[in-house]
Amino acid sequence: MSLLDKLRAVVGQAHVLTGVELSRYVIEGRTPEAAVLPGSVDEVAAIVAHAMETGVPIVPWGGGSAIGVGAPPARAGLVLVLTRLDALVEHEPGDLTATAQAGITIAALQAALRARGQWLSLDPPDAARATLGGVLAANASGPRRHLYGTARDLLIGVTVVTADGAVVRGGGKVVKNVAGYDLPKLFVGSFGTLGVIVEATVKLRPLPDAERLVAVRFERLQDAGVALRNLLGSDLIPNAVDLLDGPSAGALGLPAAPATLAVGFDGLGEQVDWQVAELATVVVRCGGAKPAPLAAETWARLASASRDAFDTPAAVMTLSVLPAVVAETMEHGAQTARKRGLMSAWCAHAGVGHLTATLCADAPRPDPAPIAAVLEEWRAAARAGGGHASVTWAPLPVKSALPVWDEAGAAGRLMKRIKAQLDPNNLLNPGRFVGGV
Amino acid sequence: MATLTETRKPALRRELEAIVGTSGVLSEPDELLVYESDGLTLFRALADFIVFPTSAEQVAAVVRLANREGIPFVARGAGTGLAGGCLPTEGGLVISMMRMNRVLEVDYDNQIAVVEPGLVNLHLSWAVGPRGFYYAPDPSSQQACTIGGNIATNSGGPHTLKYGVTVNHVLGLEVVMPDGEIVWLGGKTRDALGYDLPGVFVGSEGTFGIATKIVVRILKKPQAVKTVLAVFERIEQASVAVSAIIARGLVPAAVEMIDQLTIQAVEDAFGCGYPRDAAAALLIELDGLVVGMDTQAERIVAACREAGAREVRTAADETQRQLLWKGRKSAFGAYGRVSPAYMVMDGVIPRTRLPYVIGRVNEIVAAHGLRVGNVFHAGDGNLHPNILYDPRKPGEEARVMAAGAEIMKVCAEVGGSISGEHGIGIEKADFMPFIFSAADLALMQRLKDAFNPRGLCNPGKVFPTRKSCVEIGPVAYRPHAIETQGLAQRF
Repeated sequence: MSLLDKLRAVVGQAHVLTGVELSRYVIEGRTPEAAVLPGSVDEVAAIVAHAMETGVPIVPWGGGSAIGVGAPPARAGLVLVLTRLDALVEHEPGDLTATAQAGITIAALQAALRARGQWLSLDPPDAARATLGGVLAANASGPRRHLYGTARDLLIGVTVVTADGAVVRGGGKVVKNVAGYDLPKLFVGSFGTLGVIVEATVKLRPLPDAERLVAVRFERLQDAGVALRNLLGSDLIPNAVDLLDGPSAGALGLPAAPATLAVGFDGLGEQVDWQVAELATVVVRCGGAKPAPLAAETWARLASASRDAFDTPAAVMTLSVLPAVVAETMEHGAQTARKRGLMSAWCAHAGVGHLTATLCADAPRPDPAPIAAVLEEWRAAARAGGGHASVTWAPLPVKSALPVWDEAGAAGRLMKRIKAQLDPNNLLNPGRFVGGV
Repeated sequence: MATLTETRKPALRRELEAIVGTSGVLSEPDELLVYESDGLTLFRALADFIVFPTSAEQVAAVVRLANREGIPFVARGAGTGLAGGCLPTEGGLVISMMRMNRVLEVDYDNQIAVVEPGLVNLHLSWAVGPRGFYYAPDPSSQQACTIGGNIATNSGGPHTLKYGVTVNHVLGLEVVMPDGEIVWLGGKTRDALGYDLPGVFVGSEGTFGIATKIVVRILKKPQAVKTVLAVFERIEQASVAVSAIIARGLVPAAVEMIDQLTIQAVEDAFGCGYPRDAAAALLIELDGLVVGMDTQAERIVAACREAGAREVRTAADETQRQLLWKGRKSAFGAYGRVSPAYMVMDGVIPRTRLPYVIGRVNEIVAAHGLRVGNVFHAGDGNLHPNILYDPRKPGEEARVMAAGAEIMKVCAEVGGSISGEHGIGIEKADFMPFIFSAADLALMQRLKDAFNPRGLCNPGKVFPTRKSCVEIGPVAYRPHAIETQGLAQRF
């Protein structure tokens, strides 16, 4: 029996896609051999086991919103689509925990939780499409990570199908747990290279009474940097501290001031009121305008503001730096791009040093060389400050002009050993991630 | 794994001395005794050498030597662990990190500090306190335990309800790998590149290598703190109050529960002002902005009253607050007044199962003819039943062990865990199958093999034991050498 016949026997004819049905699952120009949509965890396990027997690589696929991140696959193999596994398995409000299958979208999960007064304090972009499993695998996050952290801080239990087709559970259902190794941490941000996430248990928070997002405009980026430092050193407890340059602010429909701080607060109504008033005194001293309220819809667009600044971006890079150097990283980075005749747009979850920069060339088929050169210079700047930078989106010619992921050094060798232990035949998303794992 | 012969030891001692100096090696039997157990004195094991390095390079050299000889080694902090995790169960080297105890760097703008593993937890908060900062994870042993030890067990504490446990505060580590290579996992930025190696290293109980530098987050001290004591006639009411607080959309910094036996012990010992006739008390702490603090406190009071609290009072000042916390933090010491010994459990359960599980714990312990005191982190469902016993009475220790295993089973049955913050170590290794399947454990073993392929780094921990390989097991309690000399008591 061929692999396709075996897959059809597992999930049924209708859930194995081939030929023209694969158009939406093309990865960087490569068409997979098939896409398979399992309806249960056991089916996922059977599919992985069959693929391993035949040596066909597997690309786990949630909403596809982060599928362009990372190195292009050497061979697309089998796309394992998890969207049919979309159940909210358990939500016990009194425990502030929920268990859901990997294919549930973030928007659907949040809607179900909100109906009972709670939320998952993770706000990655593209919530209507991004799935829980995909967000965990890609370690996607949004502006509220400033106060509430990232997936690693919220995931308390995970069920994965490992390379040998076993169903393995790590962590548990309780919010505090040190029994055994912390497998949830291992799978967060592993980009499907160590196992297929099929179910997750997360910590929740009660919905706050009130929440508000305000914008503070600055005439100079460096003034915003000073304001940022003073804000982080103040008594205020913002839930988001984002910094936008002119093009990114423009993408959100805001006046394209050289710098805009977008600051969020939540809590009791009186706490939000007091903090917004106090924010005004902090920023006005550094040359900031009076905080202006932003529409609630702006929250969801903050993380992708730099990318949305251009209709045809040439590349997107994510940089991790220390919070204190965010403003100067933006300023120097924009200069670097300008010197090579390129435009750039920058936005940052500034309080945690997480920057996203988008490059744009004023040409339909831009020369990849200067684009790669700018990206290399940005990376060098991040590294000089003890950080790192990786290309999170780019057309293939750019991706082949420089390493997509930053260099992980000695830790990279350890990552390869982990990969070799968990996926000895190198069939789970091979070559996608850091150091070629 | 090789066992050291007596004839080999003198040469090895000279080599160790060449690395760490003559004052950095202990091998006399009376010296080794001091390191034969941790805070759980039920388990003991003797090392061949105790080594005191002062730098990562020295640690690496010692580890490479151990590799060459094929002998096991284990890092040790202050020895306050409660699961036997730092015991040299197969002999070899104990590598004490206590001489590497400096704060290397504090960066207030970026709210991080770089510290050595032997630094005492509380000393970090002291170091950054004058500038208005603190280190959030606060295990009850924070006056003695080290940051490196906290890394090994992923320590918690009362305030982890709001602020998270150790792993949520660690950004990067310099690690001497089990083969002696020095590697940085993560760094100073919030996001690590690639797999979350700091995330898996924290809580690996010393089996993935030895941390020699640690980058931690430091937090701004909150503007305001409010501490509330709620007193209940029945323990179920206190349990219900915990859920009621959560249901009102509040996340306090801490919610601690103390039962009657514990209240009476604490009152006898310290007179902290807890009502002796109460069945249970909740110690609830709010922190954050001054604005809104009273509103939140009112919601807490209302939730407790609705659950049946007979009295709810708020600490009027810092002295009263400290007194209330003293009752909680000194509870373990106070048990000494009512029992010659106790065994502390560390199960975790979903918060909503508190009333049921507390009832079961009391039934199980009573059925074994023993008494139990409960003082624990109710807000996140982390139980600490303390089973009281007299080790001089024949058979009593065995009954404690049996009751403990039954309690662990109950925690597992309600979807909980067998350890919330103390770790598995030796003590709970055989309970791992209560919550993990063979496939789960096999994956953990493969992860361990990636870090520690020869198995020389802290062998015999975390995984269920093959019964034949270790002599160690529960033995009759006898006072530790330093106890008989009156130098210390168990707490």
